[in-house]
Amino acid sequence: MPTKQAPTRQAITLKGSTNLVTEFFKYAANTILFQRGVYPADDFHMVKKYGQTVLVTQDLALENYLDKILKQVNKWLLTGSVTQLVLAIISKDSRTSLERWVFDINLVEQPSGESEAAPAKPEAEIQAEIRNILKQIVSTVTFLPVIDEPTVFNILAYTSESADVPADEWVDTDPLAIEAGKSQQVKLRSFSTDVHRIEAMVAYRYDG
Amino acid sequence: MSREPFSTPSNFSGRFTPSSARANAIKRDSLVAELERDPQMSSAKRQQRTQAFTSHMAHASLERQLVAAHTARTELETKLKEKDALIERLEGDRRWLAEREKEEREEKEQERAERAEEKRKLDNDIRSLRSSLLSLREEHADIQDEHAALSRSTSQTITAQKSQISTLTRQVSLLEAELADFKRIAEERSRSFEELQSQLDEVSAANESFVQKDAEEENWAIVREELHRQAEYMRKLETSNAKMTTELGSLREKQTSVEVLKEQKRDLERKLQGYEELREKAVRLEAELQAARREREEWASRNTEPSTPSKTPVSVTQSLSALRLTHARLLEEHGSSLALLRQREAELADSENRGREIQDALGEMEHKLRSLKDKLNRTERDKILADREVSFLQAMLASYTAEESAKEGSKVDEASIERIQQLEGLLADYKAIVDQLEKELEDIGGDPAALGNLRSREDLMQELENEKAASAETQKALQEAEATNEKHLEQIEELEQTLFELRGEIGTGRHLPPGVRVLTMKDNPAQQWFDLSQAAIDRLKSENQALMRRLKELEESGMRGGEGVPNAEELVPRASWEVVNKEKTELQELVRQKEKRLLRLQQVFQAKSAEFREAIASILGVKLAFYPNGQVRVTSQYDLNAAFVFQPTGAGEEMQMQLVAQGDGGPESLPQLLRYWVEQEQCIPGFLASITLECYEKSKMEKERGYGA
Repeated sequence: MPTKQAPTRQAITLKGSTNLVTEFFKYAANTILFQRGVYPADDFHMVKKYGQTVLVTQDLALENYLDKILKQVNKWLLTGSVTQLVLAIISKDSRTSLERWVFDINLVEQPSGESEAAPAKPEAEIQAEIRNILKQIVSTVTFLPVIDEPTVFNILAYTSESADVPADEWVDTDPLAIEAGKSQQVKLRSFSTDVHRIEAMVAYRYDG
Repeated sequence: MSREPFSTPSNFSGRFTPSSARANAIKRDSLVAELERDPQMSSAKRQQRTQAFTSHMAHASLERQLVAAHTARTELETKLKEKDALIERLEGDRRWLAEREKEEREEKEQERAERAEEKRKLDNDIRSLRSSLLSLREEHADIQDEHAALSRSTSQTITAQKSQISTLTRQVSLLEAELADFKRIAEERSRSFEELQSQLDEVSAANESFVQKDAEEENWAIVREELHRQAEYMRKLETSNAKMTTELGSLREKQTSVEVLKEQKRDLERKLQGYEELREKAVRLEAELQAARREREEWASRNTEPSTPSKTPVSVTQSLSALRLTHARLLEEHGSSLALLRQREAELADSENRGREIQDALGEMEHKLRSLKDKLNRTERDKILADREVSFLQAMLASYTAEESAKEGSKVDEASIERIQQLEGLLADYKAIVDQLEKELEDIGGDPAALGNLRSREDLMQELENEKAASAETQKALQEAEATNEKHLEQIEELEQTLFELRGEIGTGRHLPPGVRVLTMKDNPAQQWFDLSQAAIDRLKSENQALMRRLKELEESGMRGGEGVPNAEELVPRASWEVVNKEKTELQELVRQKEKRLLRLQQVFQAKSAEFREAIASILGVKLAFYPNGQVRVTSQYDLNAAFVFQPTGAGEEMQMQLVAQGDGGPESLPQLLRYWVEQEQCIPGFLASITLECYEKSKMEKERGYGA
């Protein structure tokens, strides 16, 4: 089905979309870490992004960690082998998972055949969608249970079996599930580029 | 800590002295013996004696040893026995333990097998569950597809029906427009008719008014003419009426003749019935004739026989001939009556035809009569109208004559006459038009069915009905489609709910989709934290262990003897020491950092305060020096001897300065200034400002003097 110029063109849009998604993850993770108080608020400084101010960490170790993860995620996105990213917030003392911020990554079905004339989604629209998600993450503080214990976080990547994994850096782990019967979940907004569709969700532990 | 365990050198020396003294005593004994006896003899004898003694002693000692050995042996033997018993018991225990062990092993084996079995079963379960999940997911996808298809089809049908409805409504509107058109035409017609009527009325009214207005000038001739015309018309009407009545009379006569004919017909029919009877009679007679002929032939055959020719009597033959005669006559009669019957029948049919014709004519006549009667009514109405008009005109005429008689010789306006004539003409025209319209109306028969477009209108109505029915049908179909659509929507909602729940299941991490790996970076913050805490625990554990060990050692040494534990309390476990050391270095580092910071702050503060003082000096012309006790010395820039020291008084926000000392310099007017500003006004800034002014002027003057000199 692809004509001669189609692959290159698609590759370009895929790359652009991948970069966009990766960047979104960076800011989303930073926002969550700030809003949920995983790191002290002093560690964050304000940055203008997506037409609003976003808080980004200044902790070098954390920055390095996020950069490393995002680099790998970027690679996986290009090969389409990552299906989900999860930011889990874990209690330091009891080691139980308190919150799981889930970002589903779906590949948008390309309209098959020659009808690829669907107009490219304008960047401004995508940015507006991302802005809405970030705002929603900020507003989730209103209903998520208050965390009054020291926490630590971890980022999990759900990949396909065939994914290319750098063996010395990444290891298989348990999914840090939240205890059944004590979990609730809230679906957040989603955003989509021409290639990817990101659906956000937060599941949290709630002993009602 | 008692003093006992400590040992001193003096103690040692004290312990060793007695043994050396004893050795000296033994030596002295032998020396004494050698001095008393002959050295050789005594030495041999002594030697022998000593040997005997020594042998005896040895023997005794050996015997003692033997006894001791015996006892030792017995003791050992008993011990051995005990040991044997012990060994045996232990052996028994060991065997028992071995048995237990074996049992345990067997149990373990069994359990392991069970576990393996369970594991296999669980594996199977998991596999089946995974497959079921897969199938469910497929099903879900199928359902979604189906749903999409259904929604698409429903939306299509809805749009199709909508378009249908729109076309139908357009048709309906078209039809309605047509209907409106027709109505409008009808209305127009009626309006034109009304208009004409109104015009007519107007005209007649105008005429009346005109007549009234111009009553004086109206002409006699016109009135007479009009009257004449009316009379003529009346006459005409009367003649037509007479004609019609005559016609009616003739028609009535005809009607009576028809009645007569009908009567005749009935008569003929009755006669015909009589003929029927005659015919029956004729038939009977024929039958009789036939029987008679047969008889006659019989007779003839009998007559032919020669033997009996004279048997038949003459009377019989005679009667036979008479019968024959009557038969012939009857036949004749029958033929004539048949002919008559035919004739009568033809006559009857004729008369019937005529009757029908007459009836038709009668119907026609009746119809005509009705219309004529109508006409007559109308003419009678007209006549009444005309009569009234005539009477009115007569009255007018009377009044006119009266007026005429009243004022003679008045002229009749020509123009008005003309005008009246015109109006008359117009009236006549209108009357003609009215007649025409009436005729038209008559032709139409007042039936709306005669409005030309009747057929098509009915058709249209029919069509309209059809369309309405079709539209109702489509409406129903639309409703059905909408209902199904609603159902689909509900289904979608349900599916979305389940989808959401399943997503949540995945989101909380309890379900891992098959073919997916969960990966994390080896070096993640959580791991770091847990590693860190693990390390801390390990460190504490090792420290604790070291401490325990140390404690044990101390206890042991304490038990061994109350002494010989040098420097015990100075020894600290290495682990704790390391921890403390590390803490110390960290703290030192912290202190260094703090000190550095403090130094930096001090530098900054100094720089800032210098800046501040310079600013004050250049702006206010005074130099400030702050003393540690809170006092401030103020020195004028222009006279370094004019210095004042202030002390802050009054606690809280409103800090007030009090002048506590002053330098020996200053302007001559200082006491006055002091009295005025400080004592009276209590305004230190004012005081300082005036001092500054004075000093400045003084220094300026001095400078000038210096230049002058």
